[in-house]
Amino acid sequence: MRFPWLLVVLNIVGHPLRALLTLASLTVAFFLLCVLTSVLGGLEAGIKASANDRLVVQSAVSLFVALPQSYGGKIKTVDGVEEVVRWQWFGGYYQDPGNFFAQFAVDHDRLFDVYPEIKIDEAAATAFAQKRTACLVGKELARRYGFKPGDRLPLIGTIFARLDGQAWDLDVVGIYESTGANVDQNTVFFRYDYLDEVREAGLCGGPEGVGVYVLALEEGAVPEGVAARVDALFQNGPQVVNTTTEAEFQRQFVSMLGNVPVFLGSIGGGVMFAILLAVLNTMLMSARERTHDFGILKALGFQSGVVFALLLFESIGLCLVGGVAGITLALITAPVLGAGLSSILPNYAIAQETQLMALGLSGLIGVVAGVLPGLRAMQLEVVDALRAEV
Amino acid sequence: MRLPPLSYNVRSLFVRWSSTLLTVIGIGATVAVLSGVLALQQGFSRLYTEGGRADTAIFLRPGATNESESAIQREQAQILIKETPEIVRADDGQALAAGEIYLAVRQRKVDGGGETNVAIRGVQPPSFEIAGVEIVEGRRFELGNDEVVIGQSLVGRIQNCKLGGEIQLNTSPFKVVGIFRSAGPAGSEIWGDVDRLGPILERPNFSRVVARVQKPEDVAAIAARLDGDKRIPAKVISERAYLSAQTLFLSATLVVLGTFLAVVMGAAAVFSGMNTMLAALASRTSEIGVLLALGFRPFAIFLGFVFESLVLGLLGGVAGVLMALPLHGVRTGTTNFQTFTEVAFAFQITPPVLVVAVGFSMILGLVGGALPAFRAARMEPCEALRHR
Repeated sequence: MRFPWLLVVLNIVGHPLRALLTLASLTVAFFLLCVLTSVLGGLEAGIKASANDRLVVQSAVSLFVALPQSYGGKIKTVDGVEEVVRWQWFGGYYQDPGNFFAQFAVDHDRLFDVYPEIKIDEAAATAFAQKRTACLVGKELARRYGFKPGDRLPLIGTIFARLDGQAWDLDVVGIYESTGANVDQNTVFFRYDYLDEVREAGLCGGPEGVGVYVLALEEGAVPEGVAARVDALFQNGPQVVNTTTEAEFQRQFVSMLGNVPVFLGSIGGGVMFAILLAVLNTMLMSARERTHDFGILKALGFQSGVVFALLLFESIGLCLVGGVAGITLALITAPVLGAGLSSILPNYAIAQETQLMALGLSGLIGVVAGVLPGLRAMQLEVVDALRAEV
Repeated sequence: MRLPPLSYNVRSLFVRWSSTLLTVIGIGATVAVLSGVLALQQGFSRLYTEGGRADTAIFLRPGATNESESAIQREQAQILIKETPEIVRADDGQALAAGEIYLAVRQRKVDGGGETNVAIRGVQPPSFEIAGVEIVEGRRFELGNDEVVIGQSLVGRIQNCKLGGEIQLNTSPFKVVGIFRSAGPAGSEIWGDVDRLGPILERPNFSRVVARVQKPEDVAAIAARLDGDKRIPAKVISERAYLSAQTLFLSATLVVLGTFLAVVMGAAAVFSGMNTMLAALASRTSEIGVLLALGFRPFAIFLGFVFESLVLGLLGGVAGVLMALPLHGVRTGTTNFQTFTEVAFAFQITPPVLVVAVGFSMILGLVGGALPAFRAARMEPCEALRHR
């Protein structure tokens, strides 16, 4: 006998309110699962996109201790090092301390050699090379505040506070785009030589030195070997350094979140558990109400396996539809959520793996929720089933 | 108007126990997640608010929001302490005030061995009394020596943080000679002599000056005076205000996260709760017919069913709180993003958390039950009675 596929559909459609409510809770659950997974993915995106042939030299003591200026030249001579770029965290703010975004003073003449993922146009490159007060603004940041080339960007220094109490006036000469998740588009880059000049003249506070040195390696150089050589160079001070790959450097900021990934993971687990119970509940109700139907099917000569499969497929079908709806909802809302999160989580996106995982899980929940009612229905005696109230 | 016996509705829940149980656990999971996030927020903010005193003044560089970005020159600190009469002084004239430096240093965790940032504080002897920290094991560091004392919360979490351990700072090892207790975030800090740590950590200036003042109102008076004083660039804030400002960002984030999760998961729970009530209704159609035939008003029946679903929600809330309760007191760590240092604290299931959790579960029950109850109330007695 042919499997009654139509019955599967009719059983779902035959109880529209219940099906809709179950679908709605499935949709919401899988939407949430996609969002949580994507937040976790966004945190890791910077690490994944980091280049293998770049190293970061930082103080072994603290993120907040600067390295001596003299280190740059010494590092450049280490075997395997191609280029060295100084980075200094500026830590200022624009208009109000609540407007948080990162600002770095960098070596303007070498930044683009070491970071090919930072893209600017010709005019911006020329202006950045010529003007000491020039700065480049990330695309996202420019969108958020409406910065455009030619604008003046006044930054209030906190670490490098000007002694006259005034802001640092930077000139926006270009908007940069980044092709890698390791460099976000919410940053301002300005010239290290300008920062140094103002500090040398005694016009601002702040530490003398360099936050981190970023190294580009020669082709074929072994990163671990170079890192060990740089560390050894300064092991007796004056500042002990810690050289890591760019990925490790990024990871330390993610690991500051401590148990947050675990929390998000257990919330996701809780959601899946709750939705499993909800679907199971629906399927049990559905099976109980159709006991009489199953009696008729069995009396007509359908195998017990068919009855089992009917409920199983109904459950799987419901869950898959709900899963797809949830994934779709996550995809539709991604631009809005992504824009809202861009300042704290620049790389929010619903990855393909996330979609596949959600789809797989929805199928799995369908199977688990369908088996118990299915088994019950299978064991029904025809006579008892037929006698059951409708 | 007479209500149908409420025991009828309550007993109905137990008759369909398997479906009730599934719904209760489903609502419970939602409530548990909400309680967990709120308990995290409570634990974190309590750590900061309970440790803070209103009569402790904290001096920072104007414009600095926390001590990690603040600096006060040592000479200015001396003038500041000398010229602030509100500061409590001992009989010999010694002010209960101290200049401190503050820095986040890299240390390795015990489990996993990953790196984290631990706060290190260079202090002067009055700091102990001002902060109310108390040595529980070992002794204080000797001035001028490479010795430190550590907060209790670091023990077992950070490598070498034990009596006799050695903490490496740049090229100098510092010996741990004592362990102290603090109710506030200082419990996750390392303390040493400010004159030894300053040069090693390249902090020639103080990060802040702390002082005990005679009465809480003095802080505002000092603030007003400093505002007009050009010689001493400093601002003052009470310790209580300072510490609670530190929690704003994380608290707000957690409350937003908790609300988002509660709304989204709550929606799912309402849908499935509604399903349960609808199924319950369908199988009890003839019973409703009997109630109507007995003369109960439709509105009374509506109320009865709303009550039933409220009980369902309440059971879910209790289940959720029970699921979340084991979290109470569990210690965890998170980074204070104002200072980039990790602080340890415990989840706190406080009365406000309980109220919000149980209130939320009842709202879920109410929303999920309203439509089915409305349906029940609108049934025709004859048709309902005929229903098998």
